[in-house]
Order: sequence, then C-alpha cells, then structure tokens
Amino acid sequence: MKNIRRFFAAALVLALFVSVSVSISGSASADAVYRTLDEILADGTVNIGVFSDKYPFGFVDENGEYQGYDVYFARRIGEDLGVKVNFVSTEAANRVEYLETGKVDIILANFTVTPERAEKVDFALPYMNVALGVVSPDSRVITDLKQLGPEDRVIVISGTTAEDYLIKNNPEITLQKYDTYANAKNALENGNAAAWANDNTEVIAFALENEGYTVGIPSLGSQDTIAPAVSKGNETLLNWLNDEIRALAGEQFFHKDYEETLVAVYGLEYEDSLVLEGGGLTE
Amino acid sequence: MPEAVLKISHLTKRFDDQTVLDDLSLEVREGETVVIVGPSGCGKSTLLRCVNALEDIQGGEIRIRGEEIRHDGKNLPEMRRKVGMVFQNYELFPHLTVIENILLAPVKAQKRRREEVRAEAMELLERVGLKEKADSLPRQLSGGQKQRVAIVRALCVHPDILLFDEVTAALDPEMVREVLDVIIGLAERGKTMLIVTHEMSFARAVADRIILLSDCRILEESSPEEFFTAPKTEQAKKFLQSFEFRRSR
Amino acid sequence: MPDLGLEVLWKGRNFIRLLEGLWTALRISLVSALISILAGILLGVLAGRKRSVFRFILRGWLAVIHIMPQMVLLFLMYFGTSRAFGWNLSGEASAIIVFSLWGTAEMGDLVRGAVGSVPVIQRESAEALGLKPPQVYLMIILPQAVRRLIPQAINLVTRMIKTTSLVTLIGVVEILKVAQQIIEANRRASPNAAFGVYLTVFVMYYLACRPLTLMSKQLEKHWR
Repeated sequence: MKNIRRFFAAALVLALFVSVSVSISGSASADAVYRTLDEILADGTVNIGVFSDKYPFGFVDENGEYQGYDVYFARRIGEDLGVKVNFVSTEAANRVEYLETGKVDIILANFTVTPERAEKVDFALPYMNVALGVVSPDSRVITDLKQLGPEDRVIVISGTTAEDYLIKNNPEITLQKYDTYANAKNALENGNAAAWANDNTEVIAFALENEGYTVGIPSLGSQDTIAPAVSKGNETLLNWLNDEIRALAGEQFFHKDYEETLVAVYGLEYEDSLVLEGGGLTE
Repeated sequence: MPEAVLKISHLTKRFDDQTVLDDLSLEVREGETVVIVGPSGCGKSTLLRCVNALEDIQGGEIRIRGEEIRHDGKNLPEMRRKVGMVFQNYELFPHLTVIENILLAPVKAQKRRREEVRAEAMELLERVGLKEKADSLPRQLSGGQKQRVAIVRALCVHPDILLFDEVTAALDPEMVREVLDVIIGLAERGKTMLIVTHEMSFARAVADRIILLSDCRILEESSPEEFFTAPKTEQAKKFLQSFEFRRSR
Repeated sequence: MPDLGLEVLWKGRNFIRLLEGLWTALRISLVSALISILAGILLGVLAGRKRSVFRFILRGWLAVIHIMPQMVLLFLMYFGTSRAFGWNLSGEASAIIVFSLWGTAEMGDLVRGAVGSVPVIQRESAEALGLKPPQVYLMIILPQAVRRLIPQAINLVTRMIKTTSLVTLIGVVEILKVAQQIIEANRRASPNAAFGVYLTVFVMYYLACRPLTLMSKQLEKHWR
C-alpha cells in the first residue's frame, strides 16, 4: 500500500513536470500568438517593447516618462495608428521571447537585424545603422582582438549582436556576460575585464562620457542595421510599419528624431552615418 | 466490595516480536491506591500507557467502569478523560501559562465553563502551594513545581483514575518530597490511583496494595506491610534487597 | 565628502519613483509570502503525516524548485505559459505565482520539519488529557511548531524581497530597475550617480526588511 502510494506520488510529480516542460519547449500552440493590425486598432492600445535603461535610445526620465531615439519613433507610431502606446520595459535577452509569445506587438529596442533573429521574428525596414565597437581603458587600449591574451575577458550583454559575433568569429575569447547594460558598465568600471564589446553607438557614447576609456576598435565586423520587429508572420502590422517608415522619409523624420534625442550624445558629425530614412532604400 | 474502576483482563502487549506484557490481569477499585514496582524495563510504564491507549494492545481488554478502551474507538478522547496521566517529564505545554495548561482540556474538550474550572484550578493550585504561579510559563518553574502543576492539570479533568508514571524520576532529590506529599494527600482524600515508582518508602506509605511486575507478569500482589516485611517470592526479596546498602566490615 | 551623485534623487519624481519601485518589490514579495505561509502550513501539515502522499509531492516540488533557477521559473511562467497555453499573464502575476510556488515549497518543508521536531510525548500528553486530534494539532503541535519556524520563515520573506530584483526580466519595473533607469538617464550629467542611487536602494531595502527581522527577534525573545 505504502509503496503504491509512493509510486503514484512520484509518477504524478514526474508526469506533471514532464508534460509542462514538453508543452513549453515544443512550440506547441498553432494559433497565432500575435495581434493583427485590426486587432490592435480595435483594442486602442499598441504594446511596444523598449529599453528603459539604455540612454539615449530608450530610457526613463526623471518624471517617469519613456524617452529616447526609439521611444520618439514609438510615440509617432502610436500617433499615426491613432492608438495609445503601452511601453513595456524589455532587456536585451528577452526581446525575441516577447515577440514569440505576443506579449508585445512591436520591439523598438535598438534591435539589430541578424539572420538568426530573422528566423524567429519579422524585421521591418531599418531606421538606423550600427556596427560593433570595442571600448577599453586608456591604460591598455585594445585596437585589435588579437591583443587579447588567454587571461583577458571581454564583457558582452547577453542576447546582443556583440555576443553572437564574438562567439561565432572569435570563440577563443573568454566572454563575461551580463543581463543588463548597467551591470556590464559597472563591471568594466570595476576593472573586471579587459574590454567591452557592444554596438559602436554604445561604446562611442561610453568613451565620450567616461574619462579614461577609448574606443580602440570603432567598427568590428560588417555594418548592421537596426529595425523594428514584429512577431513572425504578423504581415498586416509589418506592412503597415514598412509603409510608415517609407512615408516618414518625406519629412526626414529620423533626422529630426536624431536631433531631438541623439545629438547631445554623438554630435552632428555622426548624424548622416547613423540615421537611415525610408529604410535606406530611397537613397 | 467497591466496584472496579479499572479492570485489566488478560492483557498482552508486544513490540514487534518482543513480548512486554503477557496475559496480565489487574483490578483497581474505587478509592484504592495501587503501586506497581519492579526492575527497570519490566513493562511498568508500558502498562500505564496501555491503560491510556497511548499504546495499542495485542490481546485482552481494558475497561474503565465497565466500558472498554479501544484504540480504534470513536470515543477514545472521552475514555481518555476518565484516565488522568502524569508523566515522568511533566509534559506541560511550554507555550501556555500554568493556568492555560490546566484549563485547556476542561474548557476545550469537556466544554465546561471557564470560570468554574478556573475557580477549581486556583483552589487546587493553592493546595499544592502554587497559586501565585498561575500566570507563569512552565520554563519559569522548577521541576518539582512543574510536576505539581501537571498533577493539578490531570485532576481538573475529573478522571476516574489517576496514573503516575515515575513522576519523581526526573527530579532533583530535594524536590521529590514536595511532589510525593501531594500524591499522599490525594490518597488520603480517596482518589483512585495507579502509581509506578522507584521510591520504596513512598510506595509503602501511599499504597493500599503493592504489585511486583517482572518478566512481563505480575509476580506478587500484597499489602505494603506484607510486601516489605515478608515478601512471598524470591524475586521480591531480591528486588527489595537491591534497595539496601551494607558495608562489609 | 565624495561625490555620490545624490542630486539625481531630487530631480523630478526620481525619489518617488524609487519608492514606487520599492513598493512594487514589497507588494510582490509580501503577497507571495502571505500565500506561501498559508499554503505552506497546509502543505507542511499534510506532508507531516505518516505515509502521506503529500510528503512525496512536497519532496518532488522542492526538488524542482531547488534545481530550477528562479529566473528560469519566471521565464517559464511569464513566456512559457503564453507559448504552451496561450495565457497572457502579467509580469507581476507571473512573479507572484513563481514566488508563491517557491515559498510554498520551502515553507511546507519548514512546517513539516518544525512539526516533526515537536516531541511525540507532547502530543501524547495532550491526547491523554482527552483532547481530540484536531485540537491537539491546532492547540499544541502547531503553536510550538510555529515558534520554531518563525526565524526561518522571516528569513524566507527577506530572501523573497531581495529576489524580486529578478522580476525586471519579465518586464516588471521594481526598485533596482528604477535605480538603473535613473543612473542611465543621468550618466552624462551625474556620472557618479550609481553610488548614491545604489546606496539609497540599500538603505530602502534595509528599512523595508528591518521591521521583519526586529519582529522575528522580538517574537523569539517573547517565546524563548
């Protein structure tokens, strides 16, 4: 009797656990996870995932309001859709997850277009150029990844292009991963690693703002673009976004966006190299 | 002849394969004080625990005023209230004050009126010299005081019979007397009691009858006078000798 | 005095925002703690009985909770349930569910252990007085068990408050996230703000947890 009960209890726990984990890991639900354009319009609110601690792209000001280059665009999307924008605070590591589960409609969080990501989400036309950069302390400026010894560690933020690039192209480098921008920044400042690899906008800004750091490698790998992303297969919303980006070229919207949000950090000299109008196709 | 308050018939108790009590029969009558003595490990405490159904039994029966105590019986809590038990280590509830310890069972289990039980409890506490300790916690009392509280707690349930399980064994010698005096006082007032003890002079003073338990059985049953002056069996003589000391000169 | 960048706290609503973040953290952890304590006592009592199925359920549950990092559990609850069942749980609801699952398992184990540590003869003593089994449990065993587990339970609650820093990964903005937002938004104007803001967060956590530890000490003294 005792043994039977014990067996049943163990089996029950096991079965529950297995069934939950199987159903979660298998992309089980065939139903669309996303909301179509019409559903968003009917609801009156669009959920947009942005960074909340990535100045000057997506951050929260002292009044608790979302601000930044991405947020400026997000507000315009809300305006042109005629709906309210509900900002959702995302981390680099969970942006894909948010779209795959339909927990947000659009990600506008400095999201670099890569082939791997394009398999899981649908990117709209890009609105910004980006490359990777590596920043290091003035005491030992890294100008080439070959200068890194076996002892040296390189900081990356989990889920970023920099992480993917280094794993693929420089597997010999020991990476030190952090989940948030702030933690990565703290780690470099505390001398936990030899260098920090991230989008070049990030490292340029970091070096401009922090005495004693230099961007030794301003452009690593190929030039990438940053674009809004929607859930895989959400064509109605994707098409609307693409039309919107093309239409905004007429008023040079992203130049205006840059001048409102980024110029204070990068100066005017980077404006034309960073900003993309109309998805870059019209130029 | 007064009726039997406790009647044990052919009681057999085994722990796994080991027999502890074998076909044991015993009666305690109204107002009688019976003392059980015997070597350590002979089953004295087990016998008391069987009477209170803290142990299940493998044969025979136990009746209180004619009603059988059954371990699986629905009336077990009621039957247990007919039997008061005082343990070797007092077993007061550490989170309750003295008076709360005493009132718990009468008020919660017997549904008696709180004020009435409280008055009774205070009177009994006064009699055992602990009236001013009513609101103390057990940890603030000495061993002897705790044991006197435990006796009052058992009394307040109004049991038909009181069981005492080596109630002075855990006490410092100077506290033994204050507890035994209380029990002797109860005997004088005609309480029905079954007592297990190693205190021989106390046994002699308090008992109406002495029972020697050894090897799972009752070996001898006699008046205290007879038991201590002219024991009938060899085992009783040997047992009594174990309490005497002589120095060879 | 070194520059701690404390001035950022007085910009706009920043200080209020930190307090709001603290409230979010406390709300999640205290609601979870309440659920955990009630459900944990029930589970622990059921699992404490001999030959109870719940003993094995608790054991399996604990094993899962201990093996899985809380971050994974949060992800599974927030994103996983969306994928698997199409549920759209909010971040805060997911956090409360995960924390309650965690807390209930740990609390259940604490209760089971505490109940088991009450000597058998205490139960026998109560039974001998004619108390019914539920009365014995409620009036004798549980009160003594609760006294034994209060310090560990408080410890669990304070650990919960600290672990709320993970919920930012499922979109909930709590105190630590607000701190990072403030530091980032001011990284040009007040580069040293990290020190002052984190110090403030530390003090806020401390002040939030202090009453709990004080209460625990007070109760221990009272019941000693």
